[in-house]
Amino acid sequence: MYSRIQKGFQRLLESIVIVLMVTLTGIVLVAVLYRKMGASLSWYDEIASVLLAWLTYYGAALAALHRGHIGFSGLIKVMKPALRIPFIILSEACIIGFFALLAWVGVDVLIILEGDSLVSLPQVPTRLTQSVIPIGAVLFIIAEILGLPELLREAKRPDGFSQHEIPAEMETQTEAAMEVPGK
Amino acid sequence: MTLFFMLFGLFALIFINVPIAVALAVVAVVAMLLTQGVDILPNVALVMFDGATKFPLLAIPLFIFAGAIMNTSGISRRLIAFASALFGFIKGGLAMVNVAASMFFAEMSGSAVADVAALGSILIPAMKKKGYPRGFAAAVTSSSATIAIIIPPSIPMILYAVMSDSSVVKLFVAGIIPGILGGTLMMGVCYWFAVRFSYPVEEVFRLKRLWFTFKDASWAFLLPLIILGGIFGGIVTATEGAGLAVAASLFIGGVIYRELNWQHLRKAIVEGGISTAVVMLLVASSALVGNYLTEQQVPQQLALAITRLTENRYMVLALLNVFFFVVGLFLHSAAAIILVVPIVMPLVNAIGIDPVHFGLIVTLNLGIGQQTPPVASVLITACSVAKADIWEVSRVNVFFVAVIVAVLLLITYVPAIPLFLVNVFYG
Repeated sequence: MYSRIQKGFQRLLESIVIVLMVTLTGIVLVAVLYRKMGASLSWYDEIASVLLAWLTYYGAALAALHRGHIGFSGLIKVMKPALRIPFIILSEACIIGFFALLAWVGVDVLIILEGDSLVSLPQVPTRLTQSVIPIGAVLFIIAEILGLPELLREAKRPDGFSQHEIPAEMETQTEAAMEVPGK
Repeated sequence: MTLFFMLFGLFALIFINVPIAVALAVVAVVAMLLTQGVDILPNVALVMFDGATKFPLLAIPLFIFAGAIMNTSGISRRLIAFASALFGFIKGGLAMVNVAASMFFAEMSGSAVADVAALGSILIPAMKKKGYPRGFAAAVTSSSATIAIIIPPSIPMILYAVMSDSSVVKLFVAGIIPGILGGTLMMGVCYWFAVRFSYPVEEVFRLKRLWFTFKDASWAFLLPLIILGGIFGGIVTATEGAGLAVAASLFIGGVIYRELNWQHLRKAIVEGGISTAVVMLLVASSALVGNYLTEQQVPQQLALAITRLTENRYMVLALLNVFFFVVGLFLHSAAAIILVVPIVMPLVNAIGIDPVHFGLIVTLNLGIGQQTPPVASVLITACSVAKADIWEVSRVNVFFVAVIVAVLLLITYVPAIPLFLVNVFYG
C-alpha cells in the first residue's frame, strides 16, 4: 500500500514535469518562429517565466522524493547511528517546518492577490500562477514524509546511509550511452 | 551580529544534511523575522516565486533537455567514433579521444556531469579493456569534462550571467580560447602518461575511416553550428538557442539517425526536470538571502573592507581565487555561484575587473571544485562509472587538475586570453 502510494505520487509528479518541460520548449520554439516572422508574442516572456517557476516547485518535490537536492551529507555519514538519527530527525523537521510555513504564507498571498492578473494576459489571474507556492510546498512535505521511513531505515545501518551524491542526470544518460543500436 | 548567526546557522543546517536551498531559506526567514517582524512573512512566498522566474535561466532546462536527446539518439557514439579516427593513431590515443570528445560534446550540452555520464560510460570501459588503469581512465574523463565546461554553451556561465547581470553571449565567447587551450594541454598530459607507461595506440590512421566517421557524424557537427552560430551571430538569444538545440537534436536523432529511444528520452526529460528544479530552488531561496543581505548592505561592506586592505586588482583576484577554491571544496558549483557571486560583485566592480573576465575565472575555479573531494560531483560520477576508488582516481587526477589550475592562472593574470575574441566581436 505504502509503495503504491509512493509510486503513484512519483508518477503524478513525473507527468507534471514532462508536460512542463515539453510545454516550455514548445513555447520557446513558437516564440522564435513568431519573432522571425515579425510578430513577437507579447505574453512569451511572462508565461515562460511562470512555467519555469512551476517546473521549479513541481520538480523540487520530485527531487525531494529522490533525495536529489544538493546537500552535504559527509558529516552525517561518519556519525554513529545513535547520533545520526536525532540529527536526521532534526533535519527533516527543519525541511518540513519551512515548507509548512511556505504553504501557509503562500495561501495568505493568494488571498492578498485576489483580483490581480498577468500583465500580458489579463485573463490569467495571478492567483493561478502563484498557486504553485502553496501547492509545491505541500507536495514537497508529502515527498519528505513518504521518503522518511526509508531514510530512517538507512540511518540505522552502522555502515552509514546513502545520499544521492551522484547527480540525477547520470543514471539515464549512462544507461542510454551504453546502449548500442541493434543489440 | 545577525549576520554571524546567519552564517553559523547556515553551516549548522548544511552539516546536519538539510539541503542547501532549504538551509538558505530557513536562515533568511529567521533573520527577516528577527529584524522585521512577522508582517514580512508574505514576502517570503512572493520572493520565492519571483526568484524562480528569472527568464534567462530558462536556457538551463532546455540545454539539459537537448543534451538528453543527443545522448539517447547515438550522437555521442558518433562523436567518439570520429575523434577515435582522428586521434586514435597517437600513443595513448584513446585518452586523447576522451578529451576531444568531451570538447565536442561540451559545445552542445553545457553540463560537465552530463558529459561524464554520456561519454564516460562508453570510453571508460573501452579504455579499461585496452589496458589503461581505471584510475587514469576516470581521471581523464572527469577533468576533461571540467575543462570543457568553459567551452560554450555552459550552464554555470548562464547562472553567473544572471547572478552578475552580465552578458551570457560574451561569456560564451570568452570561454572559447581558454577551453581549446585547456583541452590541448590535457591531451599533452595524456601523451606524457602514454609514453611513460606505454599506453597503446587505438587504431592505425586511415583517411577512409576518418572520412566515413566524419560523414556519419556530420549531422551532429551541425548542432554546434546551429546553436553557437545562432547565438554568436545575434540571430537568437541564449535561451532561444537552447530551444533550437532541442528542436535540432530531435530532428537529427529522430528523423536522420532514427535512434531516438522514447523510454530513455522520457526518463531523461524527468531527470532533466529534476536537475533544473534543484538548481532553480537554490536560485529562489538565494533570492530570499540576497534580499536580506542587500538590505543590510553586506556586499558593499565586504567590498569596502577588502578595498581598504588592498586595491591591487591582482591581489584581489588572488584572494577571490583562493576564496572560490575553498567554497568549491564544499559547495556544488551552481550553489556556489548563486550564493557567492552576488556578494562579491560590488567588490569586483569597485576594483574595475571586467565581469566577463571574472565570470570565466569563477566558472573554471568552481570547476576545480568538481574535482576535489569532499563535494566533487563530476569526479564522483566518473569514479562511479569506472568503479574506481575516489583516492585512486585523485592520485592521477592531480596532474589533470594541475592543467586546469594553470589555465585558471593564465586567464586570471592574462585577461587578453579570454577577452581577445570578446573584443574582436563586441569591442
